[in-house]
Amino acid sequence: MCECCNGKKDIYRPQLWTINKHRMLNGTEMYLHLDPDSGKAFDYIPGQFVEVSLAGIGEAPISISSSPTQKGLELVVRNVGGLTKAIHKLKAGDKLGIRGPYGSTYPVSQAKGKDLVFICGGIGLVPQLSFIRYAMDHRADYGSITVLIGTKCHDMRLFREEIALWSERKDITIIETIDEAHDCWDGNVGVVTTLIPRVESDLPASQVLVCGPPIMYKFVLMALAEAGVPEENIYVNLERRMKCGVGKCGHCQINDKYVCQDGPVFRWSDLALVPEAI
Amino acid sequence: MTKPRVAIFDFACCEGCQLQIVNLEEEILNLIELVDVVEWREAMSEQSHEYDIAIIEGSITRDEDVKRLEVIRSRAKVLIALGSCATSGGVNRMKNSFDLNEVRTCVYGRDGAMPHLNTRLTQACHEVVAVDYKIYGCPIDNAEFAQILRALLVGKKPFIPDYPVCVECKARETVCRYEYDEICMGPIVRAGCGAPCPSVGWRCFGCRGLVDNPNVQAAQEVMDKYRLTVDDLKQKMVLFNTK
Amino acid sequence: MSVSTVSKEQFRSFVAALIGSEQTVVGVQAKNDKFAFGPLRRAEDLRLDYDVTILSPRKYLLPPKETLLNFQVAGDSQTVCDCQPMVLIGVHPYDMAAISQMDELFSQGEYDTHYMNRRQAITIIACDVATASANVFASSMNTATVDSGFDILLTDIGGAYVVQADTDKGRALVKKMAGAKPAGADDMAKRKAVQEKNRTGLNKHVLECKPAFLPKLLEKTYDHPVWEDKARLCYSCGSCNQVCPTCYCFDVQDEVNWDLKTGSRCRVWDGCLLENFATVAGNHNFRKNRSARFRHRLYRKGKYVPSKIGGQIACVGCGRCVSACTAKIANPVDVYNTLLENTEIG
Ligand SMILES: Cc1cc2nc3c(=O)[nH]c(=O)nc-3n(C[C@H](O)[C@H](O)[C@H](O)COP(=O)(O)OP(=O)(O)OC[C@H]3O[C@@H](n4cnc5c(N)ncnc54)[C@H](O)[C@@H]3O)c2cc1C
Ligand code: SF4
Ligand code: SF4
Ligand code: SF4
Ligand code: SF4
Ligand code: SF4
Ligand code: FES
Repeated sequence: MCECCNGKKDIYRPQLWTINKHRMLNGTEMYLHLDPDSGKAFDYIPGQFVEVSLAGIGEAPISISSSPTQKGLELVVRNVGGLTKAIHKLKAGDKLGIRGPYGSTYPVSQAKGKDLVFICGGIGLVPQLSFIRYAMDHRADYGSITVLIGTKCHDMRLFREEIALWSERKDITIIETIDEAHDCWDGNVGVVTTLIPRVESDLPASQVLVCGPPIMYKFVLMALAEAGVPEENIYVNLERRMKCGVGKCGHCQINDKYVCQDGPVFRWSDLALVPEAI
Repeated sequence: MTKPRVAIFDFACCEGCQLQIVNLEEEILNLIELVDVVEWREAMSEQSHEYDIAIIEGSITRDEDVKRLEVIRSRAKVLIALGSCATSGGVNRMKNSFDLNEVRTCVYGRDGAMPHLNTRLTQACHEVVAVDYKIYGCPIDNAEFAQILRALLVGKKPFIPDYPVCVECKARETVCRYEYDEICMGPIVRAGCGAPCPSVGWRCFGCRGLVDNPNVQAAQEVMDKYRLTVDDLKQKMVLFNTK
Repeated sequence: MSVSTVSKEQFRSFVAALIGSEQTVVGVQAKNDKFAFGPLRRAEDLRLDYDVTILSPRKYLLPPKETLLNFQVAGDSQTVCDCQPMVLIGVHPYDMAAISQMDELFSQGEYDTHYMNRRQAITIIACDVATASANVFASSMNTATVDSGFDILLTDIGGAYVVQADTDKGRALVKKMAGAKPAGADDMAKRKAVQEKNRTGLNKHVLECKPAFLPKLLEKTYDHPVWEDKARLCYSCGSCNQVCPTCYCFDVQDEVNWDLKTGSRCRVWDGCLLENFATVAGNHNFRKNRSARFRHRLYRKGKYVPSKIGGQIACVGCGRCVSACTAKIANPVDVYNTLLENTEIG
């Protein structure tokens, strides 16, 4: 910060956080737990993301998968390109730059008292986890909680221990499926939409939260429409290319919406008529 | 920490690209501090050695070249094709439009029949082995070469543009050749050179090859608008096999 | 508002003195047979009679490449603040309008110190258009004249300039203009005539509706055949973005120095017409078709950006994209008029 900044902060300058735990969740996804070097964490609400950077390599938006009820910041990073590959080489004690939190949130307060249905495809489980954990930590505030998880193959399944623990509880229903059958898997086989008819809560009255790869939304939204879920009760969490995270660079636009600010969580009723959305 | 081993190999080419590297002058000293440059003869004799980065200059024009390149590939962690000869076949590929025997006789006269001058259809590196990165241009732009090498050394994916030359040409505020009713290949040729040619009044003739998804259909129709023929363009492009 | 008159000779001496001061002085100069903004070395190089510059003065507010941070690789970073005082001479009203829009966009919501600090260090001497360019249509866009944003506005009234100073920075500069005297009624009348003429005369392409109507028009035209018709010839070369005074999209790239230990994070111009502007991991391109990208630019100018800046249309009618597009498809008026022709607006 210099004199002419008049005390205004540089929105592009990341703060350093230190990795204190990390492990591979499967062949491509790494779990990271971070604490701020400044000692000052920030407040966030499930659904938000941060811009993660490794100076010299680059910066990318990554969802916060921890819940504000937990300590520190948890991220899950899939190895897909330049930056994410470099992040995968980091060890405990290494540092990452963090900016944020940015973006819209899940309807944590509006959804109070209602049944929650999470529909997660692949790595789409990650941002949803923040709200699932939050809801589990405020269990009395919500109705029933159902989590549908679709994964490509059984060895890509994320957070298996945590999910196994939840599966044993009576106050949350987890239904998993994998796309392709495998000897080591005796559960459901098929895409995640095949699980929708098995939701026991009153679907049209539930808050349905959807996150997955681009291709998934069309099919899930069709199935939800068929099941009579009104658009106001559906929330989608969308990905776009992002360079700034703060509504300037223009990369994340879906027509006139900015995914970094108006999203990534959108109420489907606000987006259903936006042509570039799905 | 041991320094990364970098080896440069030349195949059929004018070595103009290597010259560009040498032209980095002071920067080349920086480079040499960071890496062990393995001279190719040495590199080839030490059977056990691997190179972190192998840089291939030139195109593949003989059967021996294919074998040599395959050996290099098997020992290189990262393989870079350097310059148009290596990325597209370059100027050497022009011979593919002619009968090879005629080419030999034309170039070498009666000696053309000698076995070491045996020739085959020119190929780019990626047509023979897997190539990790391509550094385009005839010759390459040394600033871009330096940028790509630094990126690789720091463990990052180098930035190699896939947009047209016009982007860089406009950014440096050159008066567009089309303003003078001249054709310029800029709109379909890959950027990264910084558009030097239009800035000194030449058209871009496409030495870096086409962008991934050029609108060739548009190029033809647009030329009609400018009353130029497709043959004008073809002539421009054949030099660098950008067609 | 204080308005004075200064002779052209006197103005030239003023510019010469400015060049001698510690501020950077940038003005419009000839570049081959076109014009461009560039650092002024001699007062006589300033060409206020220019028609249009190849690039807009945006290149000084949001440079093609700008360092945001210096960093230690995999470590901490430091803000780089570029706030070298600069006087920008010869900004046309349409470009002034574009700068005012960018000021709003970079200060609203998350405040961009990099842009805003630079902006505040720049003193703008605007000037009314003396020569209409081949493709200008500022009259159609209500940007042929301008009444705010600048520090000083010059109008060429023949042998002299009428000088309007609107800010403290501007008034301080006018004080240094030896020979400036309060503008008489006669000079004011001449200035009015120039501006009146421009309000209708900078119109090489005529938009068939009021600009304020465009957002409404565009509500109905998303699937119009014009997008495909035009974009068929689009090279995705981004020239229309690069030259546009209101395009401000950017990419961010990290560059590493030879020591491999330090480097800088830069922002560079980007363009929504470029093929991979919206590509994400897995090579999924959210705007894959040329027509979708072509449409996005004209929606951004006519609808999306206006919704962020109180309805101002983000095409200021400079005509640069019309000249810059080698495929001759980028003309916004052409497209909007086609949409108007066959769209029922209820
Ligand atoms: C709101 C939000 C939340 C996200 N949350 C997560 C998360 O929790 N976990 C996670 O792992 N990911 C998440 N992502 C995705 C993540 O941001 C991307 O995977 C990441 O940006 C990849 O960066 P990279 O540098 O590793 O890849 P890059 O090297 O940038 O490349 C990734 C891919 O992007 C494309 N690409 C990039 N640049 C270009 C270019 N110039 N030209 C053409 N194609 C290009 C290519 O297809 C390339 O393969 C999220 C994204 C968003 C928007
Ligand atoms: S690409 Fe061009 S400059 Fe480089 S070696 Fe080949 S012919 Fe020479
Ligand atoms: S001169 Fe060539 S490269 Fe430059 S803008 Fe014109 S067409 Fe593009
Ligand atoms: S402008 Fe064209 S011909 Fe010139 S260096 Fe660049 S790509 Fe090659
Ligand atoms: S869209 Fe074209 S005419 Fe309009 S402001 Fe941009 S460059 Fe000028
Ligand atoms: S300048 Fe013309 S050809 Fe190039 S991207 Fe724009 S519309 Fe397409
Ligand atoms: S990410 Fe830059 S505008 Fe949204």
